[in-house]
Amino acid sequence: MKILPLSVKNLARKPGRTTALVLLTAFLALAVFGGSVITLSLRAGLRSLEARLGADIILVPSEAESKVSFRNMFLQGTTGAFYMDASVAEKALEVPGVEKAAPQTFLASLKADCCSVKIQVIGIDPSRDFTVQPWIARSLKNELGDMEVAVGCKVGAGIGETIRIYEQRCKVTACLEPTGTGLDTAVYCNMKTMDTLLAAAEAKGVSHRISSGDDSVVSAVYIKVRDGYDIGDVNTALTGKLRKVTAVRTRSMLTGVSDSLAGISRTVTAMIVVIWVLAFVILLLAYTLIVRERSREFAVLRLLGASRNMLGRMALYESAVCGLIGGIAGTGIAAVGVFSFSALIEGSLGLPYLIPGFSTILCLAAGTILLSVAVSALTSAFAAWRLSRVNPGTALRDGA
Amino acid sequence: MLLQADNISKTFFRNTGSANYFYAVSPLSMEIRPGTVTVLTGRSGSGKTTLLNMLCGILQPTEGRVLMDRTDLYSLDDAALSRFRNEHIGVIPQARSAVDTLTAEENILLPARLYGKDPPAEKARRWMENFEIAHLAGVFPRELSGGELRRMAIIRAVIRDPDLLFADEPTGDLDDENTHRVLSALHDLAHGENKAVFIVTHENDAEKYADRVFRMDRGEVFPLA
Amino acid sequence: MKKQVIPGCVLFILALAASVGSVSFLGPCVHEDGSVGACHWAGRSLLGTGLLAAMLALLAVLFRMARLGLYLGSFLACVLGILTPGTLISLCKMSTMHCRAVMQPAMTVLFAAAALCALFGAAACIREKKGRA
Repeated sequence: MKILPLSVKNLARKPGRTTALVLLTAFLALAVFGGSVITLSLRAGLRSLEARLGADIILVPSEAESKVSFRNMFLQGTTGAFYMDASVAEKALEVPGVEKAAPQTFLASLKADCCSVKIQVIGIDPSRDFTVQPWIARSLKNELGDMEVAVGCKVGAGIGETIRIYEQRCKVTACLEPTGTGLDTAVYCNMKTMDTLLAAAEAKGVSHRISSGDDSVVSAVYIKVRDGYDIGDVNTALTGKLRKVTAVRTRSMLTGVSDSLAGISRTVTAMIVVIWVLAFVILLLAYTLIVRERSREFAVLRLLGASRNMLGRMALYESAVCGLIGGIAGTGIAAVGVFSFSALIEGSLGLPYLIPGFSTILCLAAGTILLSVAVSALTSAFAAWRLSRVNPGTALRDGA
Repeated sequence: MLLQADNISKTFFRNTGSANYFYAVSPLSMEIRPGTVTVLTGRSGSGKTTLLNMLCGILQPTEGRVLMDRTDLYSLDDAALSRFRNEHIGVIPQARSAVDTLTAEENILLPARLYGKDPPAEKARRWMENFEIAHLAGVFPRELSGGELRRMAIIRAVIRDPDLLFADEPTGDLDDENTHRVLSALHDLAHGENKAVFIVTHENDAEKYADRVFRMDRGEVFPLA
Repeated sequence: MKKQVIPGCVLFILALAASVGSVSFLGPCVHEDGSVGACHWAGRSLLGTGLLAAMLALLAVLFRMARLGLYLGSFLACVLGILTPGTLISLCKMSTMHCRAVMQPAMTVLFAAAALCALFGAAACIREKKGRA
């Protein structure tokens, strides 16, 4: 059967018509692939944030401006510097239902030599920590040693390199896996290293409202609630017992994130639907107009012995090839945009954003291309049916 | 191959007051034999093209049968009838009938290519030389004149070596010299290669090349010679 | 003729956009304290490379004689434009920085598209030469 080469010739030798059809399907594919990658990345980001936080309640000093600034620290890497008495961790453990309490100390760096922005240095106590340590353990077998740091994937320092913070050289011993949150731009060290950095900061005349050598202050305490206890009750108990301390339920923080995410998802989905409906109608119109333009050509083919089936297939092949090329082009352009500018998209959305794995992307791309071919074939099906039933006698006479 | 029209007729819808249909072709029977040229003349609108379309297998008669040897054309399903037309029937339509996206040569070889047959390129070249369009082989139809397109359509109709050849005003766009050349070629095909040739025309000259001449008037066919 | 000139026009627009972008919204990081990092020099280099590619494209459009050579020259300039940020001149390390989040991908996309145009233009010139020969 030699119908396909004929279809290809028809497409190649009518470049204007073919380009218009390809552009339409490319636009469809672009919207679907780009929109889906963004939505999936946001969902993956939220899941990653949930997994990464690991704590049920976070205790922060009441002076920490608001819950929002704390949230921003996690989502966008905004540096935070707020401190409270270190005994909060021990006191929290006395509250019934509290299983673990892990203190962390935050230090906003000056410009590190890697970049021109401040980075967040987070001091952890490896013996008590349960939030960051499991993640560090994936990349680092031992505990963090003195003047050793684990860096988020976006800090841009490799293992074995040294980074300078307040003129102190810290060796990078681990790079953490991406989370799509502000945690990717943080640097983790143990409390002893933190002390050294704090001393260096003080020596530079930078006031951090925290004195070096004094381990009596921390920035936040991460609480894990024992199984069987209600987090809300524990939260209330903690607020009652501890003064000048705010207890933030991670769930409520995540709910806020999740709400914004749902909003964005809805907008993206609505946009995709609108684009699809528009493109579907335009494609349908385009193919219907093509019936008029091409009925003569199909009548000639019929006269020369082409069956209805062959003509229908020819019309479908042509639209499917347009769909295939458009699908590949649209997906390719969307991929270039979404992947090249992922950092920009993440920054402007202000939400956890983690691009899904290669296999998911590959499936999504294949699905998008398949969908473009299917839509193209579907919108041309009626035209194909009409063309296959063209009467050569009347069609040729009408155009004579 | 012998073509027999067995009491075929064609009616079309038209509200005329007394009836809501009219006979484009009144019931008729005729034979088109191999080795003969049959010419059908008549005024415009007399039903000539409708009759030709029914005989060549692209328009189903309202009543009657069209038999080719013993095969009833319209009893075949679409795929079989299409293939049958491709292999046994060549048609030169009245109107412009080129596929615009194919060159003149590709148009000529199209009937063979439709069913994946080896294109008879050498034969096509010979015919094109004969009809003086060999230099236009790679040219697209939009750049060809009416006469060149007509000659291209004639070569395309004969390229598959059909048993039956139908031509609807084959010399409409041609000058005297080419008219003579085309009609002689059709005559030679009938007498030299034992084909059955059926020509619908206004040209009085065509009758000189005919073995039988019919005249059609208001859907009725009368033998002239 | 059209096939040889249109790629040059598109190439000119893309290269000009890259050079204008490199000193404006697609440029390197702006430091609050006025200091400059490596990415600043990458931006300067991109300005020059973009202008070079744009001028070569303009000449390719205007002068038929040396069109093929001019297209090939602007193709190489575009390759230089792709390699400049990150490979030839280092950028800020943190991937959320403006130079890495915006300048580098934008320049890669613009110069890659411009390089494709240069190749199309060159191919059209070669085809025409073959046709004449």
